[in-house]
Amino acid sequence: MSKRCAIIGVGQTHHAAVRKDLSISGVVREAALRALEDAGMDWRDIEAVVVGKAPDIIEGVMMPELFLAEALGCVGKPMFRVHTAGSVGGSTALVAAHLVQAGIHKRVLTVAFEKQSESDTTWAITPNIPFQPPLVAGAGGYFAPIIRSYIERSKAPADIGIRVAVKDRKNALRNPYAHLHLEDVSMEMVENSPMLWDPIRYLECCPSSDGACAMVLSDEKGGDAAPKPPAWVHASAMRSEPTMFPGRNQINPRAGRECAAALYKQAGIDDPRKDFDVAEIYIPFSWYEPMWMENLGFAEENQGWKMTEEGATAFDGDMPVNCSGGVLSSNPIGA
Amino acid sequence: MAEEQEPLEILSARHVVEYPYTRSVGAVIGRFLGGLKDKKIEGSLTPSGRVLVPPSEYDPESGASISDFVEVGEAGVVTTWCWVAEPLAKHPFDRPFAWALIRLDGADTALLHAVDAGDSSRMATGMRVKVRWRQQRSGAIGDIECFEAENLGSQDGEIV
Repeated sequence: MSKRCAIIGVGQTHHAAVRKDLSISGVVREAALRALEDAGMDWRDIEAVVVGKAPDIIEGVMMPELFLAEALGCVGKPMFRVHTAGSVGGSTALVAAHLVQAGIHKRVLTVAFEKQSESDTTWAITPNIPFQPPLVAGAGGYFAPIIRSYIERSKAPADIGIRVAVKDRKNALRNPYAHLHLEDVSMEMVENSPMLWDPIRYLECCPSSDGACAMVLSDEKGGDAAPKPPAWVHASAMRSEPTMFPGRNQINPRAGRECAAALYKQAGIDDPRKDFDVAEIYIPFSWYEPMWMENLGFAEENQGWKMTEEGATAFDGDMPVNCSGGVLSSNPIGA
Repeated sequence: MAEEQEPLEILSARHVVEYPYTRSVGAVIGRFLGGLKDKKIEGSLTPSGRVLVPPSEYDPESGASISDFVEVGEAGVVTTWCWVAEPLAKHPFDRPFAWALIRLDGADTALLHAVDAGDSSRMATGMRVKVRWRQQRSGAIGDIECFEAENLGSQDGEIV
């Protein structure tokens, strides 16, 4: 039986296209300091640090965990780096929580970041390696055919993606940390933005951001003694499957379905749409909201778009998704 | 009996990647590099009173943020060195020189830079060296063209 894990402090940077005022270390530290302050702690209270970010090629720093050791007050302490590409923010917190749940450490700082302005991420994932299928100019080129298949299969109306893009950008107006604050965002504005990878328009894509997010995790004793009410980790799950193999359901991947099912079982969730109050989900391109609603069990297959259309996923809906503005409004990849 | 087959050709292909990077140096390193432009060398002062040159954004001992700076001297001591007898194209000189760690007067840590000594017999651990500033400075470590023995005379290079 694993031990309980509490989240006793959270912090994030103000996300922006370019944080020219800060070095890479400075960005990571801004989030970490805010989390420590929230937890009423300083560096000496932390036993171990888990750092996450997307591929090393993005900033060109090999072993960023060592590069960041002094900025994260971690000299002489255990420090680990996690890398699972776009999902690394979640995976990093997962690894950190496991260190507490396994009873290895009592207080762990988990921090994830990206400073996309230090290079060109779309370029980084574009190279056409000989004998390998190309990603075709960035993540959008990879996802567009999958989204087209979803639209064809589910018979979703063409404006679902636009609705998601508007909803998440409106949510971001309530979030002072969000990168994009598009005061005048509207269906027309998104619809009239350039088509990049049909059916993905410019304003249906996530931005490219500099930023970091951090949390202080604690054992049960520390959680009970925390200065602010802690959040408890009720369940965690992770599943893998190969990126490409014949017959893979790319629209509704099996790994996602099984991961969600395992998570809900641990947490005692019977009906996710009824049992959850709010969800923050990785939606880098607008159409992934209905697709993930299905994959994560909030809707039946081919029905997820109806939640968007009916406003169920809106801020005032019955299952609000990405009230922060989500990845569509702030995208420091690793975080 | 099976015919002997041609060996299979194993394919390989070349793929050249060029990828641009940008760096924001932050306020601490930015101040150090900016100072070089004005012939000023500043170190960061840690809470325990150590002066780090080149500066660090955060104290390696305590993790504290560093916001205090101390100007250090243009001259200092060679703490260790390595002679480059056959310089390569990317080296700062086309003649033999030394890479050295130099602890400037007032600093507690050493800075890596080149010493233009002419001959390895003129290099020694513990020797005193001073900055030779570049005429055109841009706010980069190369604003220090190199170090040279402190007991050299002025422009004419005579030993005094």
